[in-house]
Amino acid sequence: MNAESALAAALTAEYAAIWAYGPIGVRLAEAERKAAVEAEAAHRARRDALVVQLSTGGGTVPPDRPGYALPFPVTDRASALRLAVQVEERTAVFWRAVLPASAGAERDRALTALIDYAVRATRWRRSAGIAPLTVAFPGRPS
Amino acid sequence: MVLTCPVAMGSTTRRDGSSHLLSRRAVLRAGALLTLGGASVPLTGCDLLDREEPPRPDPLTPLFDEALRLAAGLRAAATAQPDLAGRLTPLAEAHEAHAAELAQLIGAALPSTTVTPDDPTGTPPGTPPADRAATLAALRKAERAGRDSATAACAAAPEDRAALLGSIAAARATHLEALR
Repeated sequence: MNAESALAAALTAEYAAIWAYGPIGVRLAEAERKAAVEAEAAHRARRDALVVQLSTGGGTVPPDRPGYALPFPVTDRASALRLAVQVEERTAVFWRAVLPASAGAERDRALTALIDYAVRATRWRRSAGIAPLTVAFPGRPS
Repeated sequence: MVLTCPVAMGSTTRRDGSSHLLSRRAVLRAGALLTLGGASVPLTGCDLLDREEPPRPDPLTPLFDEALRLAAGLRAAATAQPDLAGRLTPLAEAHEAHAAELAQLIGAALPSTTVTPDDPTGTPPGTPPADRAATLAALRKAERAGRDSATAACAAAPEDRAALLGSIAAARATHLEALR
């Protein structure tokens, strides 16, 4: 995969992540809702940077969609936390895929994203009471 | 590394029957001399072992060693403080999984014996819980250093290694979080 298609794929993952934090946020309260707001902001910041990067590089910017299918219904706090774990772990997969296709500052940014989302996934696992809190190879497709 | 030349055992045998002790001593002395020589002048004076320059160690060798040390530190801490074992064991297993993949990549062998951790957190079993905070702080420090070295290795890596190293850096960062 070349850098542009890896980054375009990461952008589609960011769109979906931002969308998913809508139903997640409304099921959470207090500190967890604040963490959801912060996580969503991180995904929005990377989305915006990717849109700028891909469009100024003359590449194709994949469009956002009006909605995304959730892997399971989000009806309460527990399902919201489980979805948050999935969102972070799945988005991390796309940034990991950027690593071999990139170098220098671009690889640094991709690794920062991978680490950021892996750590957020661990925090969500803790909130959800999921053990273990970590996976051996964050971002590796299962 | 200790280098010894093959010693011709048969040539030390004598007719008088007292040969066994002497020959053993001779062999041992020869071995000791060769060992000393090997320590001060490696790869010289031993024609049979003269070979081409040994291959340079893989740049990921330090990261592999570090993964083993991180795993050993967590295992030692889990033994010393069994109430932490549930938290620490999965982290040790992750480092061991990293070491196994790195070993395959760089052609290293996994050790059969226990590796000594850098910063021994392995206090004796039954350590009072007051030391838990110190144990966790030492483990976090080691994970932070590990995350930084894996991050640097990922940045410098050729493309076929970047994804694995990225996952290792991210795993170590999540360990830091899990040890809070």
